[in-house]
Amino acid sequence: MNHANLSRRSAIAATLLGLSGLALAQPAGQPIRIGSTLALTGPLSATAQIHKLVGDIYIEQANKRGGWLGRPIEWVVKDDQSKPDLARTLYEQLVTADKVDLLMGPYATGAILSAMGVAQRYNKVLVHHTLGIPSLAKYDLQFPAWSLGTDPATTVPNTVFDALAAGPKPPKTIAVVTSKFPSIQFMTAGAREVMKKRGLNEVLFLEWDFGNRDFGPIANRIKDAKPDFVWVGAIGLDGNLLLDAMKKIDYIPPQHFYLYPSPGPLVSLPEAKNALSVTIFEDQPPFTANTGAAEFVKLYRERATKAGLADPSVETQAAASYTAWQILEAGVSATKSLDDKKIGEWLKANKVDTLQGKLRFNGTGNFGDDLMRVKQVQNGHWVVVWPKEVTTASAKLLVQ
Amino acid sequence: MKRTPLLIIGAGVLLAFVPTLGLPAFYDSLLYLMLHWIVLATSWNMLSGYTGYFSFGHGAFFGAGLYTTSTLLAKDDWPFLWTLPVAALVAALLGVALGAVVFRVKSVRGELFALLTLAITFVIGTIVVNTPLDGGNGVSLAAVPLPAIGPTPSSSFYLLALAAATLTMLIAWAIFVSKFGAGLFAIHDDEDAAEVMGVPTYRYKLIALGVSCALAGVAGGIHAMFLSYVTVGEVFTITVPLTVVLMSVLGGTRHWAGPAVGAVAITGLLYSFTAADHAIAGKAMIGAVLIAAILFMPDGILLRLKRAFGKRAASPEGGAVHAASHGPTPAAAAMASPVMQPSHATHGELLLCVRGLQKSFRGVRALTGVDVDVRRGEILGLLGPNGSGKSTFINVVTGHYLPTGGQIVFEGRELAGLPAHRIAAAGIARTYQIPRPFAHLSVLDNVALATMFGGAIHDVAAARRQAMTWLEFTGLHTKSGARPDDLNLHQRKFLELARALASRPRLVLLDEVLCGLTPSEIDDAVALIRRIRDQGSTIVFVEHVMRAVMALTDRVVVFNHGVLLAEGNATDVMQRPEVMTAYLGSPHKEAAHA
Amino acid sequence: MAFTLPSASLLSQSILSGVFVGALYGLMGLGLSLSWGLLRLINLAHFAFAFLAAYLCYQMATMGVDPLLTLVAIVPLFFAIGASLHWVMARFSVTPFNSLLLTFGLMGIVEAVIQTIWTADFRKLESTYAQQKFKLGGLFVPIPEFITLLLAVGISLAVWAVLRYTDLGKAMRAAAEDAAIASAFGVNQQRNALLLAGTCAALASIAGVCLALSFTLAPSQMYAWIGVVFAAVMLGGLGRALGPLIAGTLIGVSEAITMAVTAPSWAPIVSFTLLIVILVLRPGKAA
Repeated sequence: MNHANLSRRSAIAATLLGLSGLALAQPAGQPIRIGSTLALTGPLSATAQIHKLVGDIYIEQANKRGGWLGRPIEWVVKDDQSKPDLARTLYEQLVTADKVDLLMGPYATGAILSAMGVAQRYNKVLVHHTLGIPSLAKYDLQFPAWSLGTDPATTVPNTVFDALAAGPKPPKTIAVVTSKFPSIQFMTAGAREVMKKRGLNEVLFLEWDFGNRDFGPIANRIKDAKPDFVWVGAIGLDGNLLLDAMKKIDYIPPQHFYLYPSPGPLVSLPEAKNALSVTIFEDQPPFTANTGAAEFVKLYRERATKAGLADPSVETQAAASYTAWQILEAGVSATKSLDDKKIGEWLKANKVDTLQGKLRFNGTGNFGDDLMRVKQVQNGHWVVVWPKEVTTASAKLLVQ
Repeated sequence: MKRTPLLIIGAGVLLAFVPTLGLPAFYDSLLYLMLHWIVLATSWNMLSGYTGYFSFGHGAFFGAGLYTTSTLLAKDDWPFLWTLPVAALVAALLGVALGAVVFRVKSVRGELFALLTLAITFVIGTIVVNTPLDGGNGVSLAAVPLPAIGPTPSSSFYLLALAAATLTMLIAWAIFVSKFGAGLFAIHDDEDAAEVMGVPTYRYKLIALGVSCALAGVAGGIHAMFLSYVTVGEVFTITVPLTVVLMSVLGGTRHWAGPAVGAVAITGLLYSFTAADHAIAGKAMIGAVLIAAILFMPDGILLRLKRAFGKRAASPEGGAVHAASHGPTPAAAAMASPVMQPSHATHGELLLCVRGLQKSFRGVRALTGVDVDVRRGEILGLLGPNGSGKSTFINVVTGHYLPTGGQIVFEGRELAGLPAHRIAAAGIARTYQIPRPFAHLSVLDNVALATMFGGAIHDVAAARRQAMTWLEFTGLHTKSGARPDDLNLHQRKFLELARALASRPRLVLLDEVLCGLTPSEIDDAVALIRRIRDQGSTIVFVEHVMRAVMALTDRVVVFNHGVLLAEGNATDVMQRPEVMTAYLGSPHKEAAHA
Repeated sequence: MAFTLPSASLLSQSILSGVFVGALYGLMGLGLSLSWGLLRLINLAHFAFAFLAAYLCYQMATMGVDPLLTLVAIVPLFFAIGASLHWVMARFSVTPFNSLLLTFGLMGIVEAVIQTIWTADFRKLESTYAQQKFKLGGLFVPIPEFITLLLAVGISLAVWAVLRYTDLGKAMRAAAEDAAIASAFGVNQQRNALLLAGTCAALASIAGVCLALSFTLAPSQMYAWIGVVFAAVMLGGLGRALGPLIAGTLIGVSEAITMAVTAPSWAPIVSFTLLIVILVLRPGKAA
């Protein structure tokens, strides 16, 4: 109830501020330099290009608002070519040669862990947006923008199964198929445990090599197993390839879930009808009422369309990326300094208002709450369907 | 010659002071990456560049070392430095086990070897990802303490890699200038000929493979700690092998330092284009630079640099001291001809005794049980129409083929079934009808090889000096620095002879050495062959040129359809009816010559 | 590694699936094999050509052209590109290993061009063919894969016939064995080599169109195929027209059967161990 008023007020305030932007103090003085790498070329570039776009948008917006601490901010970003060893070396360059003031995390777990080692050696704060394995984040001054919570392997499947249980056809028999990719595998293992505890029957368990091309036999085995629900530990295009293969043998799974599909390709696939996934943010209410969401979503859509990206809407990747910048800014503004130790201490003790809501960092490994929500492909769009608090009034989980 | 290892070690020591220069730490990491690739590329080249056995599996051995270290660190809490020798050992054992099987199969060469090594990479990667070695989750080494070898962690890695790179370069150089290396290069050009000349090809290939894998394993072990989080997808792919190939080819595969140059060049190149603004354009630039480099430096960067700096455009193999390039005059040479090993027994004693020798090739019976005696000091002519089994006889006696039956007793020792290089070491040598010199080695080195392997001289310089005397003996000393391609047929035949003699054999088998020569060249050759016998060698001599046969031979044997047809004095044998029939066919109904 | 006994339909459908992916390996490998075996050039850019063709097909299809019809424009274009590349390489007398380096550089350039035009985004061609399939007995046969299979088999057989029975084919094989002697017999190697190189690139482009029909495209994906296609090419014997197809099918089917009866993540081990065993026990395949 208050949300609507608040958001309207913020909108007015923002507009007034925007209009009076000229009257606001322009950022002045030596720029604050924030350094990071991204996989601008190589296999990871399809998703990393999203993070580049988000970073550019953020920097622009921040400078329009007067920068940080009254100074303009500048993003020193390098291409790690999808290689963790290069990422590590470039982060060292950023810290010891380019002498940036602050660091931002790179894309994907491997590079983040490399960067974390460097950050640790030089006692720099590292806010990152795409680390998929919380248990590996052992550095004190690292902060996740992707709100997985400390034990996502248990909490996320529970969320998913809660959603299914509250839906029209709670499944009893489940086929679990997964990639052996590091950030996927342990989540699937957790899901299987959760399933056992909930008394669900696992009728099939398959693992495939990351990079597998032929999903025909796998699709066939799923079809033969006749499950009520298929949990697909998918990363990248696995989900698409599997759905393609299933279509070719005239099989439509009654209910299906894909863990970390590439943003875009899955939602536009006709066979992905009613596919479930998880997200921390979608371009729809109530998410769009969160801090900074409305403006960002609009800007991103514009820029992404101009850049030729197939899917111009904000979802987990873009949202986590933006959140990371918000977190870093909050730390800097609150401590009025660029002191990594102070920023880290402040973040651990406080909450930050972001796109995803209020985030805390006082759990194990500085992770906070698990904010993963369940979304579904409905009519070619992602619709958040669980938990009830974050769904729009009419949204609900559909079955075939 | 001893200068080079000192230079290498000196450079290593000097570079060890880089961390103290107070440069930003990232230079240590960048240099670490360069040194890391130097180790990988140079170690790859030791097998694939030197022997020509192109391996696509360097990633498997690198990965084996990497996962050995990570397993020992993560699961067994070993101290990091101790895992490195184990990593080397595991990788080497893996390589040698593979090689032991694969090198036995004669036709697995060239691209088949490449395929096998590529397949091994995928097999091992799949095993690692499906077992607790990795299991799919990756292995995190973040909690493992790094020994403080240098002032900072980055410099510790740098120093470790520096040590590994220095060691690798030393080994690469040492192999390059040694007898072992000469053998490897011979295998590259013509493995079968090398084997017949005494190079123990199987053993040498295994050693090269083992060393190559061990060094890759060490690089892997160090890299595991550098990454601090290892996953299968990064390691067991075609990326590592492809990259080391590119680096080696770019730098130059026939020189021990070539791959290092390529490694530095490509790492530097990849690194220069990391600014985000033009990341994609950077990729295109790298491609363009590589293309330009290889079009204008087809032998590799190193050789191009050497030529540019005016160094003697010597043969790239063996950058060591060249033996005396101009010997004494031919006349003096004839006098100064090297002495063969003194015969231990009297002239006329039985040197080679072949009984019931058989050789079949999938149903074709090339030799169906021949008995031949060869007496010490004689020149025995081996005659017969085409297809009668003469060349097969030579091939079997020298070990090029294994006999399917029968005995070969040489100086009282049974030789049948021994590998060719042992037969060569026992004192038998041969020439090929179509000369098979080692194309990339100089004329001198071709002969020096035989001196080293058949003649068991271990020092390369001494072998070259000896080889020079053999070149003088055959009149080729002015061509010692030339490539075999630069010689005409006559000279190449003489090179074959020099090579055959250089191992000081007691028995020399000449396979149609006169074919293709002009009459005056034939006269030269006949004179040379006589001199060879006068040295103390026994000669078996396959030939069709009858006047040479008549002039030279003491006895002849005639083969036909794989059996011995006749034996005795040349003039007598050639007049026998069965011999004439064998050569010319059955006579008409009209009377034939008696 | 737990084994489950598959039903007959599962097994046969899986085998069919393996045949299809093997056919694609074969089609992709054909040009590479001919180039390596007959021209002595290891052409990594072959993969870049395939992907560039795939992207061009995708682009034209999104503008309304039927994907198969794009072959009419694509094949001649790549024939020209392939011949031009060969002309350059012949001019500089590039050796086999140097060609590896050169074409790798070319791959980087093509990848950068693709990423600049189409971004790193995943691109999937949604064609009418993708929806269609028919049933053969109890087996589902999807049309895009079927087209790939037909093209792979047809083209491989055609190339085989040309190499074996026509004068041109014999001339090319002769030149590959001994260039000097072939010249002495009047073989115009320059012209034949250009023809062959152009054909290899054209074959790559056809493989690319098949890729576009069945797979999602991303610029860096071109590297992902190198390993398995090289394996198919080397196993099938360099320069042998039917080699890549047979070897590719062997790899695809062995992996598919593994995936049908046990954990799919073990599939590469079966196919590659089989490969190793074949090479060691029956090595007489290569020239």
